[in-house]
Amino acid sequence: MKSLIVIPAFNEAENLKTLLPELLSQVSHDVVVVDDASQDETVHVVESFGVKCLSLPLQLGAWGATQTGIRYAHRNNYQQVITMDADGQHLPVEVHTLVARYQQTNTHVVIGTFPSRLSRLKKLAWRFFKMLTNIKIEDLTSGFRLYDRQAIKVLAQRQASLLDYQDVGVLLLLLRSGLTIHEVPVKMLHRNDGKSRVFSSWLVVLKYMVQTTTLCIANMGTRKAK
Amino acid sequence: MTNITILIIGALLSISILYLVRKGKMHGPYATWWLLVAVTAIILSIFPGIIDWVAAQVGITYPPTLLLLVSICMILVRMLTMDMALTQKERKIRRLTQKMAILEDHIIQHKKDDGQS
Repeated sequence: MKSLIVIPAFNEAENLKTLLPELLSQVSHDVVVVDDASQDETVHVVESFGVKCLSLPLQLGAWGATQTGIRYAHRNNYQQVITMDADGQHLPVEVHTLVARYQQTNTHVVIGTFPSRLSRLKKLAWRFFKMLTNIKIEDLTSGFRLYDRQAIKVLAQRQASLLDYQDVGVLLLLLRSGLTIHEVPVKMLHRNDGKSRVFSSWLVVLKYMVQTTTLCIANMGTRKAK
Repeated sequence: MTNITILIIGALLSISILYLVRKGKMHGPYATWWLLVAVTAIILSIFPGIIDWVAAQVGITYPPTLLLLVSICMILVRMLTMDMALTQKERKIRRLTQKMAILEDHIIQHKKDDGQS
């Protein structure tokens, strides 16, 4: 089974220096880092570990970078994509947990969740979105996910390119395409020094809430997740 | 007097559009839209009676309101289509950017392979 680990990175040189060696020692999958037009030595660091690095000439945001990796996987006939954050939040060991759950359940997508990382505010926001969309998933924004070939096909499409975050929009698209999503609890670390892309300032939060709410309302009537 | 002003505006608009097309600063569908606007202005300035007649038909007692209402509606429609066009462009730029990164890697890979053999 050909699997690819996709790591979107924006100015993550320091974190990648610790993450990549650990990841390479833990797993035998191919790894690709998608550099989202970083200004630091991200590309240099990645290449020094002999890991493939795709460099975006324009900044596309976390999802745009992740989708680049997914399109790369689609093009090169990978059967699985595992996405993880570059900031060290997701532990390389837990990749095995995702893969094991995938093999047990015969599902299309496995999401690694760590519910206790959610603040009360986030929990409230998630409950609101879950109510709007009928998605039965604990952690909506976890970037630690495994996609199978069918999910890769769906997410490599043009219609997935207008999404801005790897969260509700991606889940809705997957569910609408009739794919199943499972969750598995994993351990996560608190962010080393990178800030949350979504919950960083009030204005950003507001923008995120409004955009996601619009997306949810526009997608009402999507089928339920398991 | 107003009619002459509108006629002049319409004429200037048409000339500007044709000039912009000639200079390659505006293309197909946009030019058509703006020329239509200019032609409408010219026609209305020559036959202002049209507005009064249409207003009477739809039961509007003060005809200029009709003109304003229709213009605002057209502007809104135009803005909506502009945002739709921008969305399309955004999607294309994102896809292109992604493809470029993938192809760049592909080229580098090929060069490396060539160097080894």
